[in-house]
Amino acid sequence: MFYHHLRNELWKLFGKKRTYIGFGAFLLAQNAMLLTFRFTHWQRDMERMLAGNGYMAQEFVSALTVALVMLIPQVLLLMPLYAALVGGDLVAKEAEDGTLRMILSRPISRFRLLAVKWLAGLIFSAVLVSVLGATALGFARIWFPWRGMFVFAPGMVFNVLPATEGLKLYLCSHLFMTLNASVILSLGFMFSCFNMKPAAATILALSFLFLNLVMEGIPFFERYQEYLLPYHFRIWLYIYSHPTPWERLTQSLCVLLAFNLTTFLVGMAAFQARDIKS
Amino acid sequence: MIQLKDLRKEFGRRTAVENLNLSVPAGEIYGLLGHNGAGKSTAIGMMLGQVWPTRGEVRVCGHDVTAHRRRALEKVGAIFESPAFYDYLSGRRNLEILSSYTAPTPRKRIQEVIQWVGLTGREDSKVRTYSHGMRARLALAQALLPQPELLILDEPSDGLDPEGIHEMRHTILRLHRELGLTILLSSHFLNEVEQLCSRIAVLNQGRMVFEGTLADTKQREKWVRLKVGDFTSAVRELREAKLITGERDGQFVALEPNAGTDQVVRLLVGKGMPVYEIALAEETLERFYLTLMNEQKEGK
Repeated sequence: MFYHHLRNELWKLFGKKRTYIGFGAFLLAQNAMLLTFRFTHWQRDMERMLAGNGYMAQEFVSALTVALVMLIPQVLLLMPLYAALVGGDLVAKEAEDGTLRMILSRPISRFRLLAVKWLAGLIFSAVLVSVLGATALGFARIWFPWRGMFVFAPGMVFNVLPATEGLKLYLCSHLFMTLNASVILSLGFMFSCFNMKPAAATILALSFLFLNLVMEGIPFFERYQEYLLPYHFRIWLYIYSHPTPWERLTQSLCVLLAFNLTTFLVGMAAFQARDIKS
Repeated sequence: MIQLKDLRKEFGRRTAVENLNLSVPAGEIYGLLGHNGAGKSTAIGMMLGQVWPTRGEVRVCGHDVTAHRRRALEKVGAIFESPAFYDYLSGRRNLEILSSYTAPTPRKRIQEVIQWVGLTGREDSKVRTYSHGMRARLALAQALLPQPELLILDEPSDGLDPEGIHEMRHTILRLHRELGLTILLSSHFLNEVEQLCSRIAVLNQGRMVFEGTLADTKQREKWVRLKVGDFTSAVRELREAKLITGERDGQFVALEPNAGTDQVVRLLVGKGMPVYEIALAEETLERFYLTLMNEQKEGK
């Protein structure tokens, strides 16, 4: 039964045109990034940085390096927007459209309904991140050779890796990116369990993230960084550090998983208590 | 089949349903009447476990809906006004999705129901291409898929054209006759209720103001059509003689429960007023409903 319900949710999620419009937007943005990198001084700046640090630029300006460069702004901007949008829709859109009332005239418990919806959301996050990663690498490979990987994120990571190791870490970082996407989606999902419009749930989720980001930038909150989400979202980049900061990764992993679970439980409690009316 | 006991629902300070006691026996077509905001949809919401009662008990098919929702709704199908579907999916896919929330339904059963409601040939089209009537048929199909014993229909004819309303009415009768379903029907259309239901309950501002058979509604007040030379004088005389309780439209009088038409004729003729015509008037549900609502307004 659970499998059937989950399959239904995935049908609903992936049956919408809007889902693919979002993916389309990502592809366009990726190509824009790729062309900007290729045809502006961006590529030359990177080559200069590598040379300045004693590395052969040609060895590291590769498909893997450029794919990661393409991913950074998307992970910061587009992914939160899209994940919050989908999360905010999961329950609130059905309530708004009236289909939730149709479902809840059936003998399914609210807990199970929410659990399958949330799980479908997590699967969506994984698909989204996987597609993002695969297309970024695919597009980058068209223009750049398959060589070593150079990772640079100011104040966080500076590392060069052989292609095989780079690919392994590239795949591994996608697991963490999936977790980030699922946290944002769960946040939108939590708000959408309350009695509100889908857009309101999305806006609240994005506002929460924005508030975290703003607070992180204020010097007063520097000592409280560990309580803010962006600090933990960065683990997907820290995975490229050498040596790997396992303690930091484990801490953030636990915080993000706990945050996910908390949002689900809060959403569940709100949904359980509310009346579903037309 | 449905039992509501001392049911109450408050939304903040507003009381939507107050001390509602209702019993729908198996095999009936039971009508729930009331104006907008009377509490019909809230009551139905509580029957389906969508709205939590503030107080009281709701039992459907013998099970408490609040405590054992799953068991209570296993044999229940429901249709709401303006039924909502996943427009971007096909009719068949919608049926698969909705029915799976009760139990996985074999493809053969889905096809049978599609045929029963007359959607054959369009089941694989996207629901967004369906007309209002087709959506109503799809709503009926999804309600029938779990092989229900009880159907709860909340304004099923809302938004349908006259042909659609006619078709819906016949379908409801067919369901009752061929499948032996118990049906709870909430509707604004009084003539629809009159033609379908054997028993009704009328809600007003969350309270039940009438419960009984359709025959009861017709016997509640005995209206008589009276054609006389001077209707006003005749009414005055009849009131004085305590033979009538009311009059309307310049030609109808409501007889006292123990008064008969023979007494009316005798009195009027005795007073020298010629009586041209006197006949018991058939009371319509509409008339009954409006009278009841007026009485409520006047605080009777």
